[in-house]
Amino acid sequence: MTSTAHLLIAILAVTAMLLIIRLVRLQALKAKYSVLWLTVGVVLAVAAAVPGILDWVADKVGVAYQPALFLLLGFGFLLLLAMHFSYELSRLETRVRSLAEDLALLRHRLDRKSTDSKQEEK
Amino acid sequence: MRTAVIIPAFNESEALPAVLTELARTVPDHEVIVVDDGSTDKTAEVALSARVTCLRLPFNLGIGGALRLGFRHAAESGIDQAYQFDGDGQHDPSEIPGLLRSLDQADMVIGSRFLEETHQKYRVGISRRMAMALLRRLVLKVTGQAISDTSSGFRAFRRPVLELFAAEYPVEYMDSVEALLLLHRHGFRVSEVPVKMRERQGGRPSNRNLRLVYHFVRVLIVLAVGFGNRSPTGHLK
Repeated sequence: MTSTAHLLIAILAVTAMLLIIRLVRLQALKAKYSVLWLTVGVVLAVAAAVPGILDWVADKVGVAYQPALFLLLGFGFLLLLAMHFSYELSRLETRVRSLAEDLALLRHRLDRKSTDSKQEEK
Repeated sequence: MRTAVIIPAFNESEALPAVLTELARTVPDHEVIVVDDGSTDKTAEVALSARVTCLRLPFNLGIGGALRLGFRHAAESGIDQAYQFDGDGQHDPSEIPGLLRSLDQADMVIGSRFLEETHQKYRVGISRRMAMALLRRLVLKVTGQAISDTSSGFRAFRRPVLELFAAEYPVEYMDSVEALLLLHRHGFRVSEVPVKMRERQGGRPSNRNLRLVYHFVRVLIVLAVGFGNRSPTGHLK
């Protein structure tokens, strides 16, 4: 890659990180999720700013074609992320269900109260 | 002895009035609990105007979710035994006493459409029949008990089962198969009595084929994972 491309990617990574920080400050993104994305941003920015690093790591783990290593890591990361979201989703589903049950029971209690008071009026 | 009848209902305003009238006539001392599973029609109004308990869910949870709420309400209000009854008129109230009588020998009694003594044949399509046969075989393998009707919606429960189901009733479709495994895991006894069922009086059958396949595979996975796994995450208490 040319150094211009590296510069461009580094700028993009930094911009993305700034955006994430802004979202957290606006409370549109939970801080716990920002940790994840900021880490990704830092890794990208470093890899872009210091071109030798990716080559060096690829060499160490025995991957001849450096972009393959990059894609492999990216793919693995996205898979883990998707799994994590499935897990969170299951948990949320359970909670929403409990809330729906509670709501139905409370509505019922309210119904009963209002019919009771109507009968008292008579 | 307080007995409750739990009726999960999703858009059943057509058939529900007749069902409630019939129940009030044949089993007047049973407490009726209608669970309105996020219906978009007048199901809740029908139940309320019949002066029975109506639990209104804010959105559709599916049959398992609706049942779990019914069990929870029954358990919390001190019911001794309960049975599940369809809101579409498929079930015959004259079968109720027989179902409840068998609770002396079991913790859950299933009203089966497929036991030999039943004269009238209940009509089901070929693919569904094959799926049911396979489920029966697997249930037999996992629990060691032959259950002829694993998907019947006409079942009676003793209080200990109500308490278990209040917290842990399986909430996905094909809940009844999973429920059998759950009972087996907790050492509860299950038995069956033959019942006749009628044609539904209104409403439409609730499943499309693709969805059925998906849920079938899901239940196969549940069966394969088998018992011995812990309770679902995050249930109350």
